[in-house]
Amino acid sequence: MSMVKKKWLRKLFLPVLMCIIGIAAIIIGIIYFNFISQQIYKDSTNYLGEIYGQVNRSFGAFIERNWGLLKGWGNHLSTSEEVKNSVPEFISKEQEYWGFSDFYFISEDETCMTPDGTEVNIASKGSWDSLTQQRKPIMAGETLSSGQEITVFAVPVQHGKYKGFDFDSIAISYTNKDMANSLNVDAFSGEAKCFIIKNDGSVLLSTQEGGNVFGNYLTYLRAASNLDEKSLEKLNNDWQSGTSGLLQCEIGDVSYCILYQPIGYQDYFLLSAVPQSAVSAGFLSVQKTTTNVLIVIFLIVGAAVVTLITLHNHKQFRKSKIELQYREQMFDVLSNSVDDIFIMLDYEKHSVDYISPNLERLLGIKVKDARDNIRIMEKCAINFNVVIPADELEDIPLNGNRYWECEYMHQTTGERRWYRMTIYHMSIQGVKKYIVVMSDRTQEQQMNQKLQEALTSAKSANEAKSNFLSNMSHDIRTPMNAIVGFSVLLEKDADNPDKVREYTRKITASSHHLLSLINDVLDMSKIESGKTSLNVDKFSLPELLEELNIILMPQAKAKNQSFTIHVQGAPPEQMLGDKLRLNQILINLLSNAIKYTPNNGCVEFIISEIPSAAYQYVKLRFTVKDNGIGMSEEFQKQVFSPFSREVSSLTNKIQGTGLGMAITKNLVDLMGGIIEVESQLGKGSTFTVEMSFALPEQEESDLWFRQKITRMLVADDEEDICLNIKEMMRDTGVDVSFVTEGSAAVEAAVQAHKNGEDFNVILLDWKMPEIDGVETARLIREKIGTDVPILVLTSYDWSEIETEARQVGINAFMPKPFFVSTLWQTIKPLFSEHTEQNDRSEQTTENVMNGKLFLVAEDNELNAEILTEMLNMEGVSCELAVNGLEAVEMFKKSKPGHYDLILMDVQMPVMNGYEATRQIRSCEHAEAATIPIVAMTANTFAEDVRNALDSGMNGHLAKPIDMEAMRELVGRLIGNNENKEK
Amino acid sequence: MKKRHFTLLILTAVLLLTSCSGNSKKPDNKSNSLTIMGRKSDMEKSYMTRIFDKYETDTGNELNIVAIEDDEFETDAVKKFADGDAPDIFMHFNNADLNRFDVANNFYYLNNESWVDDLTNSSRAYCQDKEGNLLGLPFWESSVSGCFYNKTLLDSLGLKPAATQAEFDVLCQVLTDIGYTPICWPADGCTWMFQFGLDPIFADDPSLLERLNKNEISYSDIPAVTKMVKWVSDAADKGWFGSDYLEDGWSDISLIMGSGKAVMTFIWDTWFYTDFEKGNKYSVDDFALMPAFMNTADNGTYEGGNLNMMMVNKNSKRLEQALGFLSFCADAENYNMAFDEISTVSCFKGQTTNIQSSMVTDAGASIAANERVSTAASKIVGYSADDVSAAFDRMFNKKTDVAGCVKLMDDYRIKKAKGQV
Repeated sequence: MSMVKKKWLRKLFLPVLMCIIGIAAIIIGIIYFNFISQQIYKDSTNYLGEIYGQVNRSFGAFIERNWGLLKGWGNHLSTSEEVKNSVPEFISKEQEYWGFSDFYFISEDETCMTPDGTEVNIASKGSWDSLTQQRKPIMAGETLSSGQEITVFAVPVQHGKYKGFDFDSIAISYTNKDMANSLNVDAFSGEAKCFIIKNDGSVLLSTQEGGNVFGNYLTYLRAASNLDEKSLEKLNNDWQSGTSGLLQCEIGDVSYCILYQPIGYQDYFLLSAVPQSAVSAGFLSVQKTTTNVLIVIFLIVGAAVVTLITLHNHKQFRKSKIELQYREQMFDVLSNSVDDIFIMLDYEKHSVDYISPNLERLLGIKVKDARDNIRIMEKCAINFNVVIPADELEDIPLNGNRYWECEYMHQTTGERRWYRMTIYHMSIQGVKKYIVVMSDRTQEQQMNQKLQEALTSAKSANEAKSNFLSNMSHDIRTPMNAIVGFSVLLEKDADNPDKVREYTRKITASSHHLLSLINDVLDMSKIESGKTSLNVDKFSLPELLEELNIILMPQAKAKNQSFTIHVQGAPPEQMLGDKLRLNQILINLLSNAIKYTPNNGCVEFIISEIPSAAYQYVKLRFTVKDNGIGMSEEFQKQVFSPFSREVSSLTNKIQGTGLGMAITKNLVDLMGGIIEVESQLGKGSTFTVEMSFALPEQEESDLWFRQKITRMLVADDEEDICLNIKEMMRDTGVDVSFVTEGSAAVEAAVQAHKNGEDFNVILLDWKMPEIDGVETARLIREKIGTDVPILVLTSYDWSEIETEARQVGINAFMPKPFFVSTLWQTIKPLFSEHTEQNDRSEQTTENVMNGKLFLVAEDNELNAEILTEMLNMEGVSCELAVNGLEAVEMFKKSKPGHYDLILMDVQMPVMNGYEATRQIRSCEHAEAATIPIVAMTANTFAEDVRNALDSGMNGHLAKPIDMEAMRELVGRLIGNNENKEK
Repeated sequence: MKKRHFTLLILTAVLLLTSCSGNSKKPDNKSNSLTIMGRKSDMEKSYMTRIFDKYETDTGNELNIVAIEDDEFETDAVKKFADGDAPDIFMHFNNADLNRFDVANNFYYLNNESWVDDLTNSSRAYCQDKEGNLLGLPFWESSVSGCFYNKTLLDSLGLKPAATQAEFDVLCQVLTDIGYTPICWPADGCTWMFQFGLDPIFADDPSLLERLNKNEISYSDIPAVTKMVKWVSDAADKGWFGSDYLEDGWSDISLIMGSGKAVMTFIWDTWFYTDFEKGNKYSVDDFALMPAFMNTADNGTYEGGNLNMMMVNKNSKRLEQALGFLSFCADAENYNMAFDEISTVSCFKGQTTNIQSSMVTDAGASIAANERVSTAASKIVGYSADDVSAAFDRMFNKKTDVAGCVKLMDDYRIKKAKGQV
């Protein structure tokens, strides 16, 4: 026998045993109750017989008594005249004592007379024959004329005469009601009915009140009971033969015990009809009590057994439950620690039996919600519309499985996850179940995606670089071709100075273009390799904008484009940031805008302050907007990718490396900003850069007050500009009044002058309607003289009117947009006495290189020659060293004051420039610490400058050497030294 | 017939309220002619015309018969008395409407007439006023109402008729127990039964009737009324009326009784000759009469017939002649001639030619002992068999209880009585 079968039998054993015990108890109970019922019936009928035996005997005694009384009275009534005279009183007295209702004298012909002499006829013919003919005492039931039924007891007496009435018998009567009382039995809860009947069944009297409606009980039983003819025949025979008996029958719905006993007189019977329930009531009570006790005992024993079984089962159940909980908990922990989801479905009940608790973590769906409706998972399915494919479940064979690949999205985080959903079809205890295992494939999928992306990216990069190389090949070859070509022509036409100058200019231009290409490539390379760092320092926004204006305005002007700069709001003027990189970003964007905007186009540069979340930071938005050629939507997506250029008939004519925007994007990223682009092909582009800058500590704001500048008049036909200036000047404490017409400005200035409250500064827009700024200035000078400085604010190139303006008394020009610092810088000289000294200082710098001796360390012979020639042109003598070591040796050997400055290449064989500098600084030469050393390197990045300074150098010049920059640097270094010496 | 009388009484009461001119014959001005006035349909009864004719033939005296249309009778008659145009002999039922004729001042008390002893107890009782004065000579056909039972069926069951309320109750229960419907009680449209129960209450204690009519008390103040209503309610609940009694009506009684479905019913003897249909299992010979029991009389009750009586105008110039006419009518030869072959209960002890059912004859002793004058229907002002039936209907349908039924009876009665004033 298998283990499963044994287990099954063990499980069934207890219920089967219980059933057997229960059935046995019921059978025993039925047998017992049947036995008891029979016994009770037997005892009950015996009891009934005893009771009515007594009643019968009592009734017999009652009859005998009445007859005895009558016999006793009869003797006297028949013979005593004395008694006869007092009959009414006597009878009345006896009546009162014995309780009979009437007394009768009865004649031979059955005529009756009452003691008061009234004759009545109560005798039924025939039934009184025994009395009158046979001279025997009788008992007879009669009905009075009033309908009242009576029972008459009569005895024959000696013939007598009363009130002339001859009588041979006397009688007394009882109403049947009184008779009934004498027969009534208190037993059987008053439900017993007792009758005196004759042997033919006719009813003499009934103990039941109103019971006289029974005329013949045999007939009644025949009609009303369930007795069959045989039983009725037996009953009739019993009565005819004067036999006692007991029978049971049903009348209506009630079961009766009918007991009949002959009274022993004539053919009368005492018949009692008692409902069986009443007969057995007493015994039934005992039976009921016994039954109840047994039931209680059974119940107690049963309850005890059930309790024990329940406790046992409960213990087992708890054990199982704990085990189950333990397993569930373990499974929960397990499932929580993995990214696989487990679901158990009851297919028939359409319910969810189990869902692993990690569902919420992995898909953002609450377990309860999913349990309530598994279809909720459809919400996060991406590529799998039917979460649990109900229609396909049926197809999975029992103990088989199927799987589906599906993708879900986390409901709250939006994270995508990939699963392999495997559904197992099982039968657990005969119930159809489906176990769903959603195996997480996210990492695998992501890895595949990344690999795919990497592959795509690599392909794209490769393609981009191929394109780049192709572009570069073209772009580099173009200037190189020019350089080589014009160099050949230069050699050929060396004797023709005009051609030489022409070729030289073209070679120089091509060289510059080639240099910018190389710079961009290097820059990009640097950024991409993550070696770029920011050089954060305080910078002035107005200065930045001025520089941009200076650089870009000529380019725009060259293409006859409108180039405007707008400042919205009142951004701070001083902030911390890498001005160089910001400049590079903005120049890239603006030069691109100019580059890709056709002639007569429009380029707009807007600077606006936007709310910053961080304290002590300002957030600026730089918007470069043009109405140029624009970009396709497709290209917009890769505009910031390196080596990408939109290919079109327009762009093909424009030089570019395809690196500018990539550099810009990387720099913006590096500076923590964002860059966005909106563009429409043929309509123009808008680039937006947003980035935050830290604010420097606040400078003193009482400069204006100290210069006694407290009132200013502004005249501009655009009121917004006036209001903007007023707003920007608020922190300076200067009271700004403004007018929008030149004549009003004249009027205001004159009025202030008259009041003795001259404005400290008057700022006039150049191009105003009616009277322009120059004319206004002239009129003001005419009215109030030259004491008040007048400045002209303009976004135009003022060079063409500068002479005229100076003549009419305009002190200075200010570029738009207006900045407080610009104003300060502009008017400061006007209030200062040191202007001339500054001019002299600049003059000194120009001559500082002339006649100097430089030690030049340069390993490249060609570069060294070029440099030597260029320095010679500046009046500088050079001594060359071919590497760092040689330079060190030459310096050490030199006498103090021999060299005025050392120009040090960085990348040299034997010893590089940094090391050489360190050795020079550390050597014992008298000028080791002071000799100015300037680095010359093709690396122009901030860290290159820093490395140079760190090694002990005093400055840095980028290759190819810009002589202007060199003059400025040398002037500063040698000038400083000379000043120190002085 | 009795049913028709009830309807007539109600109609009469209504007509009394509307004063309009009668369409009566004017009495002749013959100085020696006795004027006899009555309802037209009453005067045209065969026994009436026979006695009128015999009188005129035997005595040579003419009679001036004033027959007033039935629907104008009460109004016209009252008017004639009021106008001094009263007849010598006036025929009227001894009911509540008679009070409108100033009985004491208009009619001659006949207590000492020679024929008085020949009247049956019940007819004499009917014709008396509350003081026991004999107001008129009963000369009418009538019936006896009581409980008619299927004697054959009862005998076959070994049972006897009841003589007391207790026996009746036992009989009903015994019959119910063995599957018979004890009482045929067609609730739908059979309105007369309730007065059988009420008669003993008011006939046995006339003061109650007087106080009730004076509105000094109501039914609810009389415990016996509530007792009766409760008995009827209990009987219905115990199934003594059967299961379909609410749907049964007048026309169903014949079949129910004839088929033996029900054993007893409260009705009048002449019904067996007018409405009991032949061809059923049981015929009229199977039935017998016992008192009706409704828990208001321990030995039960019979309702005596409503008798039209001849009253003598005490102010008549021909008083003696009028009294002589009554004596003529009360003569055994004459009334036997008049009622020859007429189915009626006897008004006179010497009445022999009329047809009287054996049921009544057999129950003679019981009737003599327990018959009561029809009191409730004829003497209670505002009494309407329909109204009482309506009140019971609500109780049978469990829309009200016993007290509610009694109250409804009162409400309807008072409303009707006010309408009659």
